Amino acid sequence: MNTTDQRICLWLVPAFAALLLVAFWIFPGFFPPMSPTMTAEEVAAFYREHVGEIRASMVIVNLCGISFIPFFMVIVVQMQRMGNPSRAFAYSYLSAAASGATLFALADLAWLIAAFRPERDPQLIQLLNDFAWIAFVTPVGFIIAQNLCLALAIFMDTRRVPVFPRWVGHFNIVAGLFMMPGALAMMFMDGPFAWDGLLAFWVRIGAYCLYLAVMFFVVRSAIDQQASEDRLAA
Amino acid sequence: MTRTATVAARPATDGRRLRPKLDQWICWWSIPIFYNLFGLIFVYFTKIMPPPSPGLTQDEIVAFIRTNATNLQIGFVLLALTLGLASLSSGIIVVQMRRMSSARVLAYAYLAVLAVAALPGCLFCGFMFVLAAFRPDRDPRILVLLYDMGLLSFVGSLGCFVIQYLVFAIAIVLDKRAIFPKWLGYMSIWGLVTELVALPSWIFRGGPYAWNGAISFWLGTAIFVVWEVCLVVSLYGAVKRQPLDEILA
Amino acid sequence: MNAREARPGDLGISASRHAGREAKRELPGDVDVWVFVIGEMVVFAAYFAAYVVDRGRNQELFLQSQQLLSPGLGVVNTLVLLTSSLFVALSVRATRTADARTASQCLALGGACGAAFALIKSFEWYSKLRVGLTISTNAFFMHYYMMTGVHFFHVVLGLVLLTILWREIHHTDAPRAWVIESGACYWHAIDLLWIVIFALLYLMR
Repeated sequence: MNTTDQRICLWLVPAFAALLLVAFWIFPGFFPPMSPTMTAEEVAAFYREHVGEIRASMVIVNLCGISFIPFFMVIVVQMQRMGNPSRAFAYSYLSAAASGATLFALADLAWLIAAFRPERDPQLIQLLNDFAWIAFVTPVGFIIAQNLCLALAIFMDTRRVPVFPRWVGHFNIVAGLFMMPGALAMMFMDGPFAWDGLLAFWVRIGAYCLYLAVMFFVVRSAIDQQASEDRLAA
Repeated sequence: MTRTATVAARPATDGRRLRPKLDQWICWWSIPIFYNLFGLIFVYFTKIMPPPSPGLTQDEIVAFIRTNATNLQIGFVLLALTLGLASLSSGIIVVQMRRMSSARVLAYAYLAVLAVAALPGCLFCGFMFVLAAFRPDRDPRILVLLYDMGLLSFVGSLGCFVIQYLVFAIAIVLDKRAIFPKWLGYMSIWGLVTELVALPSWIFRGGPYAWNGAISFWLGTAIFVVWEVCLVVSLYGAVKRQPLDEILA
Repeated sequence: MNAREARPGDLGISASRHAGREAKRELPGDVDVWVFVIGEMVVFAAYFAAYVVDRGRNQELFLQSQQLLSPGLGVVNTLVLLTSSLFVALSVRATRTADARTASQCLALGGACGAAFALIKSFEWYSKLRVGLTISTNAFFMHYYMMTGVHFFHVVLGLVLLTILWREIHHTDAPRAWVIESGACYWHAIDLLWIVIFALLYLMR
């Protein structure tokens, strides 16, 4: 089977990730992250002052935010190559990836809508800002489910030469654990579990970025392995 | 294309002879039906297409919602009932994409991306207007908020469709079996570009690049309609030409 | 179904259809690419029309804003893109005479010019943004950023295409002329569109 399209989907990741990193850099509310304790007036002032950067950065996120889906689909296809009893985990992974991306899209929409009419009532801007942050930081369940499915599939891969080495399974579980604190941001206004806190923001985002980077190389090896198997079989 | 170890012995059938590809034809018919409903909902009932201007004053927006409240509700009840039909069009496109010589990964990506798009790109708009129409005597500033949320998400949800057009174009261009004509793949690039030119709708309250503007809305919609018609026609051809032994195997 | 191995840069159109076309030269490149290119032109025409209409309504504003552009950079960019088109055309000619080495060299040079265009354009935007001229500054700059931005996207797409063409020439013994021609067709179209954009934004008084 031709691996060209898998490679294209793979390389979309660094291309779009570079753009997303630029966007996250431009967005004035990330470094340092905005605090949930800001009053409505402060939030509204923030949006008024930084309207241009917020729109520019979030428009880039709008365009690029869904671009990891093809990459996750490569993982789905690789999972289907494994020596598993059934395909269940691959389809579960697909479903979780789609659900997770939906919330990311909504978070981005909320930031952009907040920046659309800066003269809006500050309480409403704060509402949109809350929506965006909570949608961005807290729904970690889908990523965790993805990672769990992949880890279990790897452990159950009975192929003599497994599609992914076993340590990738452990890595997925650990990465998922590091992302779990994000969910608690629904409850805390400050401290490490708030949406600007060490665990819910920095560790969570850092873990996700590291996860993507590592998985990029892992998936690339898997595709290479598939290509050489196909050549031998042909 | 052979699949190893996944084709089990066919189970015994119950003797019925169904029309070949019946499931695909049902899915195919869902597409024109869905888009006619879409037109009925968004153009006739709710008047979201063409969208009212982002430059309207608060009073004008409130007037739009209050005078239109019943129609908004009827239209979006219909949408709530029928948006699921879009999944059928996903289904048949994925089946045909899987026939391509390019790997399954692009078909899965198409499926996943459109599953994502349904909410922020379509249903969310409906929800926002339904919330507005549900209690039209809300504070006008809240009605304006709901109005913005509905129309911005509808015109400005770009990323999902960028990836949809991208994977579709790549799949067609790489496909050696010519399931779909090559020009449809190139046309998908036009669709991708319309998403790019809808970017400014997040900024402007008037002019050609606003959410109701000549470029961001009208040109974008025109290209989408042309693309969709070409897709439906190409899909018809693809299903018709699909050799029976591919299905009965 | 077919045992033909995938090659890098394989645009996937069935060989038999184009074997026939090689015999009688009706149209350089592929019909599908022409549909694409003509469609792109029509779409860009819409952007141009929107610009002209807005300009008609705000002539004073547009004239003043035009002064803030850098015509020097515009001219350089035009020359760079024209040069790249020249190289791509030379590459097509070399492919027809089966001179793979010249063809791939010319493509590489054409691509390098295209990349230079992208860099210069990025620098131009940066210098405008630094003095506070953004997309929301006024109607003129809205059109400026949008038209040059969409064109930029097409240039990037073209660069990807040129890379695929380069691999087609480099990695196969008998590069298919119609593949190179199709890509060249697209690249020339982008060049043509830039000339119109340059004229509208920088020159038109």
